[in-house]
Amino acid sequence: MMKKWLIMLLTVVLGLLGLAGCSDSKASSDAKDGKAEITYGFWDKKQVPAIEEIIKLFNEKYPNIKVKTEITPYGQYFQKLETAATGGALPDVLWMNGAHVVQYAEGKVILPLSDMAKKDNYSLDNYPKSLIDLYTVDGKVYGIPKDYDTTGLWYNKKIFDDAGVSYPDDTWDWNKLKEVAKQLTNKEKGIWGYAALMGNQGGYYDFIWQNGGHIISEDGKSVGFDQPEAIEALKYNISFIKEGLSPTQAQMTETAASELFSSGKVAMMFDGPWMVPEYMKNPDLNVAVVPKGKKRAVAIHGLSNVIAANTKHKDAAWKLVQFLGSKEAADIYAKTGTVIPAYNGTQDAWKDAVPNLNLQAFIDGAEYSVPLPSVKNTGEIWQYETDILKKAWSEEVSVEDAVKELTKKANEALKK
Amino acid sequence: MERTRQLVTSKTFLIHFILILGSVAMVLPFLWMILTSLKTYTESIHVPPVIIPKDLQWGNYKEVFGLLPFFKFMFNTFIITVARTAGQLFLCSLAAYAFARIEFPGRNILFMLALSVLMVPGQVFLLPQYMIMVKLGWLNTLQAVIVPGIFSAFGTFLLRQFFMGLPKELEEAARLDGCNHFQIYWRIMLPLAKPGLIALGIFTTLWSWNELMWPMIVNSSPESMTLSVGLSSLQGQYLTNYPILMAGSFLAILPMLILFIILQKQFIEGIAVTGGK
Amino acid sequence: MKQIPLQAEVKATKKLTVSSLTKTRKRSDYFWAYLMIAPTMLGLFIFYLWPIIQTFYFSFTEWGAFGQYEWTGLDNYKRMLEDTNLLQSFKNTGIYIIFTVPIGIFLSILVAVLLNQKIKGKSVYRTLYFLPVITMPAAIAMVWKWLFNADYGLLNYLLSLIGIKGPHWVSDPKIALYSIIVVAIWSGIGYNMVIFLSGLQGIPKMYYEAAEIDGAGSIKVFFKITLPLLSPVIFFVSIMSLIGAFQVFDLIFMMIGKSSTALESTQSIVYLFYQHAFVLNDKGYAAAIAVLLLIVILIITAIQMVLQKKWVHYD
Repeated sequence: MMKKWLIMLLTVVLGLLGLAGCSDSKASSDAKDGKAEITYGFWDKKQVPAIEEIIKLFNEKYPNIKVKTEITPYGQYFQKLETAATGGALPDVLWMNGAHVVQYAEGKVILPLSDMAKKDNYSLDNYPKSLIDLYTVDGKVYGIPKDYDTTGLWYNKKIFDDAGVSYPDDTWDWNKLKEVAKQLTNKEKGIWGYAALMGNQGGYYDFIWQNGGHIISEDGKSVGFDQPEAIEALKYNISFIKEGLSPTQAQMTETAASELFSSGKVAMMFDGPWMVPEYMKNPDLNVAVVPKGKKRAVAIHGLSNVIAANTKHKDAAWKLVQFLGSKEAADIYAKTGTVIPAYNGTQDAWKDAVPNLNLQAFIDGAEYSVPLPSVKNTGEIWQYETDILKKAWSEEVSVEDAVKELTKKANEALKK
Repeated sequence: MERTRQLVTSKTFLIHFILILGSVAMVLPFLWMILTSLKTYTESIHVPPVIIPKDLQWGNYKEVFGLLPFFKFMFNTFIITVARTAGQLFLCSLAAYAFARIEFPGRNILFMLALSVLMVPGQVFLLPQYMIMVKLGWLNTLQAVIVPGIFSAFGTFLLRQFFMGLPKELEEAARLDGCNHFQIYWRIMLPLAKPGLIALGIFTTLWSWNELMWPMIVNSSPESMTLSVGLSSLQGQYLTNYPILMAGSFLAILPMLILFIILQKQFIEGIAVTGGK
Repeated sequence: MKQIPLQAEVKATKKLTVSSLTKTRKRSDYFWAYLMIAPTMLGLFIFYLWPIIQTFYFSFTEWGAFGQYEWTGLDNYKRMLEDTNLLQSFKNTGIYIIFTVPIGIFLSILVAVLLNQKIKGKSVYRTLYFLPVITMPAAIAMVWKWLFNADYGLLNYLLSLIGIKGPHWVSDPKIALYSIIVVAIWSGIGYNMVIFLSGLQGIPKMYYEAAEIDGAGSIKVFFKITLPLLSPVIFFVSIMSLIGAFQVFDLIFMMIGKSSTALESTQSIVYLFYQHAFVLNDKGYAAAIAVLLLIVILIITAIQMVLQKKWVHYD
């Protein structure tokens, strides 16, 4: 009687272990009969519907390749990847950004795609050259561009109407932005005119460029945060908080600015086209080109799909990457209004998909855009930016002191 | 006489007053969690706050289920909790019996060795354990969370205390009947150590269900994520959209809450036992 | 905590086994004993004991991207001496301990003593106070972060009703750590209360009866009888709370965002360990932090062990 119980208990324990372990063995046996199960890692939950549709289409073409998706929030994405790369456990296909591609390519954890593309006659001319360049390391292409993004000035029409102010347009400059932010700020109703986010893309990078400054010097040996143009741009940005026109840094950490904006507590803010699926739900919202400083400038960046070096299904992964970069996939992205597809000629379809928003603002931005800087230690520099600039944003230290510390640390990182 | 009674009632009143005050502090966060989980986002950031939502937004729960495989998380957490608890109860009691009731060479040294683990903060094990999981190719699997958790120095120590407190005569009689040690352990000792087993079981269940750091390190794919990690990733995606976050939180604590309501007595007694009665 | 001394048992067994079967029986004893401890000992060795040694080893290495590491001797430990973040994290953890442990113990004794009186509804109270214990820290952190929200949180609203403008509880660098302490105390009361309650119930009634005959007031009874007799339990709880408090992570991780201005003034030793090990991929330095943490905990536990002789009363 007792023995029976023991055997049962043992079976349960071992059975559970076996159950959990069986996924591995299945994957390897699949490979033998041409079937493959591959994983696709990315971070933006807003793109899930579009991605699911693309995978469905992909499976019509390749019914034997099963694609499993893995979403990790952006805040943890690269940290997870690094851990996974250490253990040779990266998803087979994954999203990559410009800040990390050099490090991953040099660390040999992602595969160069040039040879495979050549073999399959896969043309890389279908994408903007700046994006292909972004993902080229030592002459080899590592990623197939999936989309690109610039920045726009999002605004809440209702707040403008209530205050009797006309909407932003391409005549706006820094002074106008400040002036309107003052007009729209309404302490009683708890409305701020502008949200001065502490972010580089679509934030202080854009302002620094607009003011004639630079982030990383031409020779890639130093950063430009301590130059007068950059200091002035940062000060302009922070002045919105100082003058009470923007929620404070503390407030924006406790309640996300994008949520304050979509619920009518913030009148204007910079943000990218990736917010389209979210903001198009609210008819009060629209977007315009960003105001100009000494000149027009806006950051451009695009994501790409890359293949992990540890993949056991290289062919299947390459097929998926090709498909994700195809016109069919771009059309789905365009149709759902999710992101600006990178495939040349599909951008207009994206713009038309959401007619009530002025999406042309983002496409226009591409004309005077500056690529997001990408060096081997971009990730580390970004970390320093967050750690140090947040103190300037919360007015704990002066902008001058902050940029001094930041420049020193970032320059050291560049030397590594 | 009248005075004493008055004194007694005012004393009882004071006790109740303090206890109720504390109870409100204990329950209010939970109440606010449930109320917020049923609000629209606009209601949640309304000033002054909306206490009772106008229309109950059950859709928030639907959204949590829609974007994260919450049932899958629950299932994973359940499997991990059951496997760890069953594993610990069996393995720890087995070792504890041997340490408590059998004399063998090296017993004290081995026991001290096991105990030394208790003195070391968990972070010391973390990196090497992680490297082991990498080598075994176990990242993003349930067994990565389960296996290190079925061995416990604490459990062995706790149950050894129990076995040591049992009278010697019991096993002497059994031995005369020709029982071997395993049979004695299984038939005689285990049933007698039931309070200890329940205590360890509850302790392990609570710990497994709620643990954050280890599952977060080894499991990042939604397929094998636990509820705790799922909640942290929900926060990563929804930033400060509290109606959704509160709906997720409530879903994550609900199973343990139900278990607790059913097994209240065992929970509280079990914890008292682990406190070294 | 009764523990039969091992030696006494050894003698007892010797006396009983003076038969011709002794040898075979002993051999079978050994066989069963080793078989029974084998799984646990093996598991403890692979997953716990060997890792201690490995962590010591890792603390002398530096890690590059994606898993390669090299021996760098004492570099990590030298780096610690200049690491202001580490110093700050020790300070944060220290403040956290100084507040959570004594206040937590005080409040749980208070609740336990009140619940040990003859009153109605005991089990209801006990259940309510125990609720946070069964709730996962991730969820606790989330709901408190929401209660603490400066603009839309319930707490600041309630304060505004009595005319106080509440602070930024979780993002003001001067306050955030104390907000976390409040949550930690809140969530720990139930656990310790249950242990104290069972300790209180273990105090023989005769002491109280004797005190009653002497006509001692309830406050005097508490300090002269309850507290001394409860001291072994207090000692146990304080050691456990201290070790637990040293390893605080979940609450900080969930409540304080990465871009929060309060991060530096709240991050604990273990948070810093996690950052270096799994975010910055600086595993060698992380291992050194873990070793330091181990040493500090051992020293403090040893100090407590010595001090206990002064105030803990064993019968």
